[in-house]
Amino acid sequence: MSSSTNTGTRQQGPVETDRALPHGHGTSPTRLRRRADGVDALRVALWLAVAGIILLPLSAIVLLATSNNHLPLLLSGDVATAGLNSLVSSLASAAGAVLVGTVLAVLLDRSDLRGRRTLRLFALTPLLVPPFVGAIAWIGIAGPTGPANVAFTQWFGAPLWNIYGGDGVIFLLTVHSYPVAYIIISAALRRVPSDLEQAARIGGASALGAVTGITLPLLRPAMLSAFTLVAVGNLADFGIPSIIGLPERYVTLSTLVYRYIQSGTVDKPLEVVATIGVVLLVIAAIAMVVDAIVSRSRWEMDASASPPQLLQLGKSRMLVTGLTWILILAVTFLPLLALLSQALLPAPGVPLTWENLTLDNIVAATTAKGTITGATTSVTLSLLAGVICTVLGLAIGTVVTRTRARSNPALRTIAMLPQAIPGLVIAVGWLIVAPSIGLFNTPWLILCAYVMSFVAIVVQSVSAPLRSTPLTAEEAARISGAGRLRALFDISWRMAVPAAIAGGTLVVLTAVRELTISVLLLAPGSQTLGVNIFSLQQAGAYNAASALSLIVTVVGLAGLGLTARQPR
Amino acid sequence: MSSVTISSLTLAYPDGTIGLQDIDLTIADGEFIALVGPSGSGKTTLLRAIAGFLTPTAGTIHLGDSLVASVSTVVPPEKRGLGMVFQQHAIWPHWDVARNVGYPLKLSGVPKAERARRVAEVLATVGLDGYEKRNPATLSGGQRQRVALARAIVGRPRVLLLDEALSALDEPLRDALRLELQTLTRSIGLTVVHVTHDRDEALALADRVVVLDAGRILQVGTPPELVSRPASARVAGFLSDATTFTGTLEVSGFTAADHPCTIPAAAIDASGAQPASTPRTGTVAVLPEDVRLTTPVDPGSTAVVTSSLFGRSGNDVVVDWHGTSVRCRIAGRRPLVGENVGVSIHRALFFGADDTAAVHTDPADTHPAASVGGHK
Repeated sequence: MSSSTNTGTRQQGPVETDRALPHGHGTSPTRLRRRADGVDALRVALWLAVAGIILLPLSAIVLLATSNNHLPLLLSGDVATAGLNSLVSSLASAAGAVLVGTVLAVLLDRSDLRGRRTLRLFALTPLLVPPFVGAIAWIGIAGPTGPANVAFTQWFGAPLWNIYGGDGVIFLLTVHSYPVAYIIISAALRRVPSDLEQAARIGGASALGAVTGITLPLLRPAMLSAFTLVAVGNLADFGIPSIIGLPERYVTLSTLVYRYIQSGTVDKPLEVVATIGVVLLVIAAIAMVVDAIVSRSRWEMDASASPPQLLQLGKSRMLVTGLTWILILAVTFLPLLALLSQALLPAPGVPLTWENLTLDNIVAATTAKGTITGATTSVTLSLLAGVICTVLGLAIGTVVTRTRARSNPALRTIAMLPQAIPGLVIAVGWLIVAPSIGLFNTPWLILCAYVMSFVAIVVQSVSAPLRSTPLTAEEAARISGAGRLRALFDISWRMAVPAAIAGGTLVVLTAVRELTISVLLLAPGSQTLGVNIFSLQQAGAYNAASALSLIVTVVGLAGLGLTARQPR
Repeated sequence: MSSVTISSLTLAYPDGTIGLQDIDLTIADGEFIALVGPSGSGKTTLLRAIAGFLTPTAGTIHLGDSLVASVSTVVPPEKRGLGMVFQQHAIWPHWDVARNVGYPLKLSGVPKAERARRVAEVLATVGLDGYEKRNPATLSGGQRQRVALARAIVGRPRVLLLDEALSALDEPLRDALRLELQTLTRSIGLTVVHVTHDRDEALALADRVVVLDAGRILQVGTPPELVSRPASARVAGFLSDATTFTGTLEVSGFTAADHPCTIPAAAIDASGAQPASTPRTGTVAVLPEDVRLTTPVDPGSTAVVTSSLFGRSGNDVVVDWHGTSVRCRIAGRRPLVGENVGVSIHRALFFGADDTAAVHTDPADTHPAASVGGHK
């Protein structure tokens, strides 16, 4: 309201103290305008950091890709097929994720579905399971040796549905990305004032009519935003296509790039890969622009005065409740059970009976030398990445939201950019710059890539609460006698510290299970936990891979559960 | 001694929009000044320029003897020694009450023990004894605003700036805090600049009221002056909801253009220049108190009641008089909406189109009732 109009007028004017033009006449003893102070120094430092961590690898990719024209290669056989597969799987899975996310948002946030609070937690769990772990788990359910397929093969001579192949990739990508879509859409749903629906009801609309006629159209920008985010994210996912797609020769860009880098099947693999990276970058950039344009046309909505009215499901309440529960439990608990049974069996295909159960896999997986070094590497790298991202993200987030400068939007955009860039491209970028900065074949390269990918998480979690606090908080500090830097430290930073720590924890938990970047930047002695599981799976040690996946998942879930319980 | 001296202050935005234009204002030590005006009039801009958040494009601001803002010199807000209360209190949510209030003292290097003593003292002053350890989230809106006030005055500021400080509170609380604010600022002799959109609040609290419009000062004066002798029809319209008519003033009286309204010379308050022999064009402002509603006499003076609200000090009635809405405050029977009434104006202020200053006499003893229609 009035605070926002204040902000509006303030931003128009150059008459702000920190924007004022330098002036020659310094006759007065008081301070001249435009004296560079601590905030300016901080801003310069942040620009340098962002340039080194984000702009450097990106420009390296672009430079290398444009050094030689490899575009003809892109349009030929392998690359074109892989590109098409990537495009189809990411678009199809994004559409599926948005559909599931929207239905869930309406059911779990706006209807009188029974047990929706509990269900909301369950529905989010696929987000917490790394995609490649999900892939390993689903092989246990719908792979050729999964119980349903074995039964069908015995009865009808053909399996029910084999998860290997393109349809399986799309299915698994959907399962792992619908929670993101749900989070975005339900956040938008909560911002739709329930007054709007109630006005429609007064005007004669039915409960369902009000939802479909008023609320859902208002969610369209959020749905599109979720669609682009999920599509870009899935465009270069590595774990799922390599585990589910490759056995059926379903090749996507990420698995192709992995093959080029690992086995050198083409000349100048880095240049070819960089070209693919640039194409992905362009797609990501287009998606970001589309999203920005759509979000600009978003409606201004007032805060709701009345409490939300729940959609009464009426007669179908029990039916819908039952179906939703079954489906959500199927995608959340079934994989965990599958992992558990695979972890406890000595080999795939061995029937699940008491006599066959063994703890050998779990013992072997946890005590193997590779696992321990992998865990140590992962934990060290992700903790370091967490700390660096927390500090850097806190500084960028506060400077960008709480000070005024023309360069702020640019700084913010660059810091948020890697979120829209596939991990594959980030890894390739660092692979290119590695020799010249002396980090080739060291784990620190992975750390750099982690920081680049994940700093956006902290920037975002810091900006959200800061933006909702009016700028008068700092102005009050200035009036009290604090300089600009002091006000930024004492007020903005301190207010944002809890959010930054929460964001940093999320960085640690994401990085510790990361696969795409780690597998591409793999160096001797820098095998991470994700790479460990992946190698076990590729080597055919399915049950050991399952055992390790189970442990990682359970520990990860527990960790996230603990952070989520911390009061903000 | 003057506490704030503003001379020919102008503030323009890059797109050419004028925020403030040629503001001259001297605020005496211990004076309570209220800045009022319609939204967009520049009252908040002026306050923020005094605070140091905005830099003038021309002119100067002095606090006491020291120059704090001119084209070449800008003292940043933290070096100006001011206190400020914001509309949305701006209490820092991550600190308890004592830390919030003690922050200005901490920055000016007051030792810890002394700080605690002064925080306790100022909290007692605003009626929050013993609230030092409270988390701001547990406070009510009124209590938060008191904390903000305590924080603003704890460092004994040269000037206390209030930016719509009471506007976010609900009405009964605002009323109570208004009384407390006056008592408090008077007892410690604070110089106060108070921005408000609430005209009654400005008139009630201030020693002098500054009326702003479109970045310019329309009038500065004590509350009684502003109400009874507004400097222009605009001021009368803004401060008192006066109805204005444009027309011609002759010896016989005022005749509105394109409207049946005529006002006899005896009811026209236009001293300095008596109703001249040469007709003058200009505007009359009619205060709500100076309108009476009668039974309809003739079509020219007949108006229709469009709204009729009960008020403590007279009913607030709006009538539609041949296309012009006339605001009246009348005692006695409250007319019904849709009722036909006769309008009679028994006092009007005339402002010539050519002169900017008001022409007025002391209206105290002459209140000739003028049945307007009757003089047609």
